[in-house]
Amino acid sequence: MIFLLISLSILITSSVLIFLFCQSKKISAYLFLWSLVAACGFGLWSALSVLCQKAVSLPLTSADFRVPGTIPLGEFYIGIDLLSAFFLLLLFILSLAAGIYGYGYLRDYTGKRNTGAHFALYHLLILVIALVLVAKNAVLFLAAWELMTVVSYFLITFYNESEQVRKAGFIYLIATHAGVFCLVLMFLVMGAHAGSMNFDQMTAAQFPLGLAAVLFMLAFFGFGIKAGFIPFHIWLPHAHPAAPSYISALLSGVVIKIGIYGLMRVITIIKDFPLWCGVFLLIMAAVSGVGGVLYALGQHEIKKLLAYHSIENIGIITLGLGVGMIGHAYHQDTVAFIGYTAALLHTFNHAVFKGLLFLSGGSVIHATYTGDMEHMGGLFKLLPWTGHLFLIGSLSICGLPLFNGFISEWLVYRSLLEGVFHLDIFGIIFSSLGIVALALIGGLAALCFAKAFGVIFLGNNRTSEEHHYQEGDLIMRGPMVLLAAICLWAGLFPANMVYYAFQGTQAITGMPAPFVLEEAIINPLLSATKVLLFGGIIFAVLVLLRKFFTLNYPIKLTETWACGYAKVSSRMQYTASSFAKPILKIFRSILFFKVETVSPKGYFPTKTKLSSSVKDASEYLFFRPLFADIKRFSRKLKWIQSGHTQTYILYILFLLVILLVWKLY
Amino acid sequence: MNVSLLLHLTILFVFPPLLLGFIGKTKAFFAGRIGPPLLQPYFDFFKLMRKASVYSVTTNWIFRAAPMVSTAAILAAGFMTPIAAFKPPVQFWGDIILFVYLFALARFVIILAALDTGSSFEGMGASREATFGCLSEITMFLNLTILALLSGSLSLSEIFLGGLSSSWLLVGPVLILVVVSFFLVLLVENSRIPIDDPDTHLELTMIHEVMVLDHSGADLGFILYGKAVKLFLFGSILVSIIFTFKTQDLLTDTALFIFEIIGLAIFIGVIESTMARLRLNKVPYLLFSAFIFSVIGFTVILVRGHS
Repeated sequence: MIFLLISLSILITSSVLIFLFCQSKKISAYLFLWSLVAACGFGLWSALSVLCQKAVSLPLTSADFRVPGTIPLGEFYIGIDLLSAFFLLLLFILSLAAGIYGYGYLRDYTGKRNTGAHFALYHLLILVIALVLVAKNAVLFLAAWELMTVVSYFLITFYNESEQVRKAGFIYLIATHAGVFCLVLMFLVMGAHAGSMNFDQMTAAQFPLGLAAVLFMLAFFGFGIKAGFIPFHIWLPHAHPAAPSYISALLSGVVIKIGIYGLMRVITIIKDFPLWCGVFLLIMAAVSGVGGVLYALGQHEIKKLLAYHSIENIGIITLGLGVGMIGHAYHQDTVAFIGYTAALLHTFNHAVFKGLLFLSGGSVIHATYTGDMEHMGGLFKLLPWTGHLFLIGSLSICGLPLFNGFISEWLVYRSLLEGVFHLDIFGIIFSSLGIVALALIGGLAALCFAKAFGVIFLGNNRTSEEHHYQEGDLIMRGPMVLLAAICLWAGLFPANMVYYAFQGTQAITGMPAPFVLEEAIINPLLSATKVLLFGGIIFAVLVLLRKFFTLNYPIKLTETWACGYAKVSSRMQYTASSFAKPILKIFRSILFFKVETVSPKGYFPTKTKLSSSVKDASEYLFFRPLFADIKRFSRKLKWIQSGHTQTYILYILFLLVILLVWKLY
Repeated sequence: MNVSLLLHLTILFVFPPLLLGFIGKTKAFFAGRIGPPLLQPYFDFFKLMRKASVYSVTTNWIFRAAPMVSTAAILAAGFMTPIAAFKPPVQFWGDIILFVYLFALARFVIILAALDTGSSFEGMGASREATFGCLSEITMFLNLTILALLSGSLSLSEIFLGGLSSSWLLVGPVLILVVVSFFLVLLVENSRIPIDDPDTHLELTMIHEVMVLDHSGADLGFILYGKAVKLFLFGSILVSIIFTFKTQDLLTDTALFIFEIIGLAIFIGVIESTMARLRLNKVPYLLFSAFIFSVIGFTVILVRGHS
């Protein structure tokens, strides 16, 4: 606890100091870098020290820190339990990596923009996110939650001279504020029921199932908007491309995960939900997962594609969460524990590999000055570091063996399959639905990243001019290497991370997990590592065989075989659109997939055009019409707002009279 | 080192190309030819190993590593697959998931290698392979879920070594549906007719073959070998679903298994000789029908109860 307090105080002081030294670019940048490293170091230490403790008795909270408050109902009351600690772990790892990268990224802008304010806000964001995670009082939680939204808004709109960026920031602000309404209502009901706004008392209180269901729906809307479930996801594909890459990394890696944290926190507090809540969550998860990846396939802008993949991964995480809730409703601890562990672990893994992908994607944009994949190609040779790091990220996000994504997807599958074994027919139907959805998500994600990596980095450059791209230097590469190393480490030696996630699970279920279960989760993964080891040995043997056989031959290099065609141009390569076309055609009816062509006329080659697009149904069919209607309705009420101060005073007077009358009778 | 482990590894590493030999022989028989000898796939492999490779200047190390990574991944999957009546070297609760994902890894690297050449033909093949791959994966998972449910296990060896023997009596029709659906997945995954034609390289409707257009020499040898192993593994799973009878005698079981899987190869050969390839836009329908088969099977189990 003491380390966390140190870390938080470093963050707050440094952010004030950076503000003060805003004018001196050098001082503010150095202050930013070193305070970041120190704060994240202390924060990680505190998180790990909680996660590593052997769980002997519950409650598993370490020492709390409270300042009895003067705000009604609220007090400054924080404490780290295992769930908070797990999320703090990913917060500090990712904000460290993204922050250092950002420091490197912003050097170009020194003197052109107010980077000092940006740095200070970055620290403030880490601080408020940490506060959301450790808050043990609902008022404090809500205050920190609101601050998080506002601060991240300022970070997203860094390039605020662009109309598009301002608009994206606005969409983000409005979307997430709409959710807060539900959250305030939820916490008020909870607090009224438990008689206190502190989470401890709330956890101790018993909630009847009907009330639990209502609260769950409020939590789902409130936190779901932040997490980006389909159909509330519309802010994500706008905000991610607008923000600088390292902010996108933090947004996708941490901020949307806070929505997941909120849901988990509500589960810890209320504990027992009716069965349909879990089923509902599972269905929403399947929709978000499959929908997210399908939309991602239709994107040609690198960061938009990654943004839709965040939605997909939120779907995968929630599949675990949903099956955990279903298992809990059936009192099947195996299903519940594995489901929650899977959800937690995938939350961490997604933060790491998505952070890596956003940072390396940012390096691509940094070097090429465009995010449009159709103009790229062949960057693997020009940007070798970025290319390799993006490859590791892609392999991880596809859940392929050797990398961390596989471990958590394996656990999600496992929880669903255990659901098939342990539940009754109703549970089996939904678990198997989850399995099919996850299988589809896995296949589509592999397709999408084969497309993204292949089109950006492989083949030849699709533009005809010569390029001299600049690879980022050590300060930008270092954080990416760190994240890539975590991807590999967590994929090859899964025991530690699984253990931490398992610890977090105990906080969610509110009971100590049987040791047998922990072994049942970890041991198969160790056997899986053994299979991969065999695979590695075979690979080594094959390499040696190839060496041995080709020893006497010089390696011949030529052009790519074009089936006899002599005048090949790099623009003839398969593009991102053409690669994704077959699968998009299969799903065209739900994606509004359209290909528009202008056929060439006459006998001789002329100019022609082809464009394909995917429309986001929830944005174009639901939210846009909805907001248009709201606008039309509000315009009708415009006469109330006359603009004269006198009229407003009259309104107040009316209100006072009405209140007076109401009070008297 | 015990005998069954040794036999397992020997069969896994050495036997697979022979299946291709049998398929070739069957097709030759239908065409009224004598056809290449049964061992032709081995000859091809050694011929390719002794040839130099030619690389495109566009390619990176991914292109060179992919054949070996994919073959290694497929062989690693073989370490978990029960062959004949041998317990596989590694088995654990949930290895069915790793089994599918190793094939996904093998496919993914080959797709990347195809894109690495920058050739539009290979891009086309890669795109199709990825598309059909993700459609067949859902069917594969649903089938495995059915089998897991029937046998009460998440481990390939427990499912296929005895877990299913009573299910044929209880829910035989379901297993027939699973077999049909799994056979279709096998045809898709191994790019056989009617989905893909493994014998021609240069047609634009090709899927898998066009992806490896630029590979040559030892690289191509590894790819062909890996494909044979993949066919063998899918085939051995299929025959383990169909033939649950085991004599408990190591050699008899092995001989039986070899007969069964050669029978399967001949059956594939018959299909390839008597059917034409489907048009490309019809392939998804075939995959959907495979999926529907297993959904029906699953529904029947849910209604009838599975134990």
